[in-house]
Amino acid sequence: MTKNFISSACKFLPIVFVFALVNLTSHAQEISKEASAIAAGESLFNANCKTCHRVHQKLIGPALANVYERAPSIDWIKSFIKNSAGVIAGGDEYANKLYNEFNKTQMTSFTTLKDEDIMNVLAYIQSETEKGPAVAAAPAPGSGPTSEEGGQQSAYLNVILIGMVLILVLLLVILAFLVSALKRFLDQKELSAEDKEVIHSPITIGTISRSSGFIFIVVFLVGALGFKAVINGLYSVGVQQGYAPKQPIAFSHKIHAGQYEIDCKYCHTGVMKGKSATIPSVNICMNCHNQIRQGTLTGESEIAKIVSAWDNKKPIEWVRIHNLPDLAYFNHSQHVNVGGLACQTCHGPIETMDVVRQHSLLTMGWCIDCHRKTDVNTKGNAYYDNLVELHNTASKTPMKVEDMGGLECAKCHY
Amino acid sequence: MRFILSFVLVLSAVALLTSCGAGGDNQGSEYAPNMYHSVAYEPYSQIVDEDAGRWLTSIDYPDGHAEFFNSNKFNPFRMNLREAPENTVSRNKNGWLPYRIPKDSLDYASRTLKNPLDSTAAVVADGKVLYQMYCNHCHGPKGEGNGKVSEKYNGVPNYNSDALKNITEGHIFHVITYGKNLMWAHGSQVSPEDRWKIARYVKTLQK
Repeated sequence: MTKNFISSACKFLPIVFVFALVNLTSHAQEISKEASAIAAGESLFNANCKTCHRVHQKLIGPALANVYERAPSIDWIKSFIKNSAGVIAGGDEYANKLYNEFNKTQMTSFTTLKDEDIMNVLAYIQSETEKGPAVAAAPAPGSGPTSEEGGQQSAYLNVILIGMVLILVLLLVILAFLVSALKRFLDQKELSAEDKEVIHSPITIGTISRSSGFIFIVVFLVGALGFKAVINGLYSVGVQQGYAPKQPIAFSHKIHAGQYEIDCKYCHTGVMKGKSATIPSVNICMNCHNQIRQGTLTGESEIAKIVSAWDNKKPIEWVRIHNLPDLAYFNHSQHVNVGGLACQTCHGPIETMDVVRQHSLLTMGWCIDCHRKTDVNTKGNAYYDNLVELHNTASKTPMKVEDMGGLECAKCHY
Repeated sequence: MRFILSFVLVLSAVALLTSCGAGGDNQGSEYAPNMYHSVAYEPYSQIVDEDAGRWLTSIDYPDGHAEFFNSNKFNPFRMNLREAPENTVSRNKNGWLPYRIPKDSLDYASRTLKNPLDSTAAVVADGKVLYQMYCNHCHGPKGEGNGKVSEKYNGVPNYNSDALKNITEGHIFHVITYGKNLMWAHGSQVSPEDRWKIARYVKTLQK
């Protein structure tokens, strides 16, 4: 009996020991709640882990919320971070389950992270876990300030208008006083019956509209306004300034180029190399939209179109906006790459447009005007040295595009 | 009566002419429309409707299409441009052949590939310009993975993390070409020469 007891005690003892040890180590490895540890952990997390892990979201690797309770032990976490390949190869059950669940993607081994670094990262994860997943982002900043500005401007305009109307009414009142005073003055005089009739003849709409002064004013106004409208109309033939067609996908440059500051040339890849700036092919859209499926303005509906185009291998038929007639040649790379122009010089504030419209006239006069005004940047290009020297002997103004053949007919028409 | 008649005539002429201007979906009226609708194939002005511009067609085209039609009936989606035929090889102006190491051989690429460009400051400066064009909005100006788009797009790494600090230029070249993890391929946008320039610049961010 006693022998039995001792042997069973001997069997239990190591287990008790192990329990005590685990208790001890886990006490020693209490995850810190100090702000300094959390801050240190956050910067480490952002530098090393963020690529593949989020706290509340599964990415390339698992979401890390509660990992300190989920994983076999804190020590296991440490050894896995330092040498994940070793742990997996060592046949650890939990590690192999993870490895298979995430398509056998091996986590990078972070050999340079020290134990206290890992504890700091865990402190950060713990604080984020307790905060819970972030609530949906605040609504996108609207165009509040600009519309306010506009409102102020129109308020000024209103004040000016009201002032002018008041002055006009005052003038009318003064004129009415003058008329009645003159009438009274004339009534006191001896006048023929005919003259009296003229003085007291009533002023009606009929008499006004039949008066020669009124007819002249109306004919003149209609003629002048009509003439201006006709001239404007004639000048707008063949000019497509303001054309802003509806595109097959409600793509917003304001979001992409404005809010997210994506360089124009990321999508319009041909602009430095050739005649056309090129419209991005679907794979370029998919570089981001393989993941981003929720649009800022239109939700999922518009982005779904690009995804279905990608899945069906069907190109998007965007509507062309800027179109020069065949008689004129234009090359983007000559202007953007060689001339160093910004896109906005011709295309206007594209980064503020939800729907792209043609900003410039694209008439010959508009081209020539810019070629006359624009200085040529010849800095650091020895090719131009002699030309600049020659130009400076004949002229005091800096060399413009027109001085080096920018107005030659055959540069654009051939 | 004549006065009113002429008045109405002038007004309608004005209304007609002011409607010539473009705006919204209205392209405006064209002077000499043949000049805007190219007979030659032009990029992004494809017209697939064979009857477009019948009203001013003066030539008997062999297949009977009208003036504005300028698509290729025999291509997919009637496109004018086609992908290069299979098994053809393009060379760029340096005479480089296309990059042929397959996507899954990242290790091999990072071990064996050498940057063919020299290491002058001009190459690094070019690389910086290209980096700002193609990489900045996700990877951030200093490669910390904090570009504006990374607010929405998950998984943008920090170049100076332990995992990436010591990658080779060949590794960078391979990843730009084919993508890696959550990043998709950028080989169609960035020419091989530009990829090498970017790789050189990225190494300067990792110091």
